[in-house]
Amino acid sequence: MAHKLDVLGLFDNEYRDDGFRTCSVTGLEIHRSVENLVKLFGLTAVVALLYGGIFAITVAMTRWEVIGLLDPGDFYTHLSLHAWNLLIFWMVFMEIAILYVGGPMVLGRRLPFTSVAKAGWLVMVAGALLVNYAIWTTEAPNEAPLLTAYVPMPISPLFYAGAIVFILGTVVAALPFFATMWYEKRENPRKTLPLVSFAAFVTGIIAVEALVGGLFAFVPTLLWRLEYIQWWDAAWYRQMYWIIGHGTQQINLVAMIAVWYFLTHVVAGAEVVSEKVSRTAFILYLFFINLGAAHHLLSDPAVSTGWRLWNTSYAFYGATFASLIHAFAIPAGIEAGRRKRGKGGGLFGWLTSAPWRDPVFSSTIFSIILFGFLGGITGVMMGQLQLNMTWHNTFATVGHFHATVVLGTTVAFMGLIFFVIRTMFMRQYVSERLASIQPFFYSAAMGVAVLMMMYVGILYGVPRRTAEVVENIPGTEFSLSAAAPLFAVFGIFALLAIAGGILFVLVAVGSLVFGDRVESADDNADLVADGGLGMAQDPDDPVHAYEMRGTFVLCLVFLGAFVITYLLNWYLLTQLWSIGA
Amino acid sequence: MTHSDADADATASPLSFVRRVLVQAWRDLLSVYYANTPIWRLFKSAGLLFFGFFCWSASSLVLSYGIEWTILEYVRAYGFVLILWGPLTHAVIVPLVIRLRRTAERPIVRTIARNGSKINISIFLTIVLILGTAPISPMVLDFQSPLGNDSGTDVNPDLACSKSGGEIDCQLSDSTGIDSVVVTSGDREVERVEEPPYEFTIREADLEETVGQAEFVVELRDEDGETLRRYRRYVSSVPEA
Repeated sequence: MAHKLDVLGLFDNEYRDDGFRTCSVTGLEIHRSVENLVKLFGLTAVVALLYGGIFAITVAMTRWEVIGLLDPGDFYTHLSLHAWNLLIFWMVFMEIAILYVGGPMVLGRRLPFTSVAKAGWLVMVAGALLVNYAIWTTEAPNEAPLLTAYVPMPISPLFYAGAIVFILGTVVAALPFFATMWYEKRENPRKTLPLVSFAAFVTGIIAVEALVGGLFAFVPTLLWRLEYIQWWDAAWYRQMYWIIGHGTQQINLVAMIAVWYFLTHVVAGAEVVSEKVSRTAFILYLFFINLGAAHHLLSDPAVSTGWRLWNTSYAFYGATFASLIHAFAIPAGIEAGRRKRGKGGGLFGWLTSAPWRDPVFSSTIFSIILFGFLGGITGVMMGQLQLNMTWHNTFATVGHFHATVVLGTTVAFMGLIFFVIRTMFMRQYVSERLASIQPFFYSAAMGVAVLMMMYVGILYGVPRRTAEVVENIPGTEFSLSAAAPLFAVFGIFALLAIAGGILFVLVAVGSLVFGDRVESADDNADLVADGGLGMAQDPDDPVHAYEMRGTFVLCLVFLGAFVITYLLNWYLLTQLWSIGA
Repeated sequence: MTHSDADADATASPLSFVRRVLVQAWRDLLSVYYANTPIWRLFKSAGLLFFGFFCWSASSLVLSYGIEWTILEYVRAYGFVLILWGPLTHAVIVPLVIRLRRTAERPIVRTIARNGSKINISIFLTIVLILGTAPISPMVLDFQSPLGNDSGTDVNPDLACSKSGGEIDCQLSDSTGIDSVVVTSGDREVERVEEPPYEFTIREADLEETVGQAEFVVELRDEDGETLRRYRRYVSSVPEA
């Protein structure tokens, strides 16, 4: 029976007496305690997405100076709210949900300490509200913090307090996940974790590392801001800050890849080509991914050149290598899995015969492609000491992280939400057609908007974070008006992308409220991969016996794009320095 | 690869092997060109749109560095035209040609259907050649924006301050282009000067403390009230007179 607070009937699935039910799509044994909390965190994430998305409109329409919506002061406040709600709150609430899916749900366990999980959610919500309040009510001498509240810039103490509360809440919410892992290994000491659980575990470790780094950054800074301590080292702050500042994005990355493995397996029949190789790639992330944070400090005079070289030219490639492994392993798993299911004629038949009308599948694939081509390649370039100089603090940087966290993580998470609507909330889409169109529409529009961000940054050196550049940089002779045509393309496609985001919220929320209820397993039969997931366990028909030449060709295309972009950037850098001239 | 193919590989001369690979590659290319399912149409349209953007912007960028290779001008034109022509070809023309080959009955239409792709590519290449030779303004990104246009002169004077006896005196090295100077501390306006040379004196006691430090902000504004330059000064770092 549904709880009295559950007015929309979103939390009232049919469970057996032991509190479990069997998912008709994944075959997982799902306990009520896990499912309800996954729904709670997922719904909260969508609220943050909606709220942060509203500021996407005002921010984009200010940077497109033909509209020039906001004054510079208001722009920075809106930009801060956009960043915190989308880059932090939308992502982190989703990531806790993913930890619960990857942990107890995949392992078929109940969620331990549910009251701790609920307390974590409450504290996280309180922290998120406090951060939003602090930013919205920013007044002189305080500044809106964006994501870089560098000491000694005066920021509202409420902001630091909110950030600390949110971080603490996240750690508390992650505790039941770690307890699940503890119980699982204690009961099955010789059994390896499923790959998705393993990925979630790595995500959890990186998350805690990042969050503790955040406490190291924000707690002393709050004490300094409240004047309990007189002075704080700005360089130390920057180092500590980037542990969380970039670390949270690495959580996004690893969580996203866990989602890729999970969803491609369920809806497209992908199989894991080599467990050992994929697990090794996750372990490489564990050791090397946080070094990516160094690219924020490559123009920082407080760190030595040796430090920069180590972090960006050697060790960092450990993480790049891991990403390249996943970039091959996931499409290869799809290709081999689909060929095994008799769905792979020709070079790309496995791809073209895939369930493209299913928004879960299309979101996941667009996330993989766009993250790889637009976010991954540019990330490696920006993470390199020399090339960073042409990217640093330009609008191209904004293009890069929109390619990673919007085209990559957000699109993947949207796919996961589409999946959760069908399999956990047990609702049909309010409109099949709109749900099918949304990933195509959003990814395409956002893809062009992101390209324009990169182009105006790289081609013209247009700076980030400013309200206006094209019409006028006050008081200077310098003009960036030549960037206006590309800004026009950016503005139009940013509006289209926002429309795609609105469409997602309409379909998701509309389905929850007005969607027909999924009554039987047959209603969700279209989500199951061709031939069923059971084929993955056939020892007489190993997946590596199937060819993966389509993936090989795609990887060559990717490598070609990588090499051309890399050489082009290096060539331009040498021209800038007139080497050999 | 079948068993007999493998045997053929073992016995064929290198020349015939290369020929066979090239023929197969050409057939693959044609089959991709004519693949007409909705997802293939979308792949090809979106792929060529992005590729066109890349060719256009990358060649424009290299050209902007003063590297005047003629080939780049044609790559730029190719990319620019491809942005529209790629999706047009694979979303409209190829499906239309395929449909007409099945349904057309009149001789003229049949001829067009049979040669539709060749006509399409010919028109495309002709446009590329024309625009490569005589580029139109929308495709030429203006990178070399001249300094000193009508945005006005550069307003960037030095602000020199000194303190003595609880007062702070400040002067600007140049007052050209400035209409007013506004000094604030916290959210309060402390001083406003509307006459050159915009010197001002403020009392330390009037300044608010932020994080243990008294500070003030000096804004230079133009006649429209727009901020031209902003300076933040901490009292502790202002030298004694």
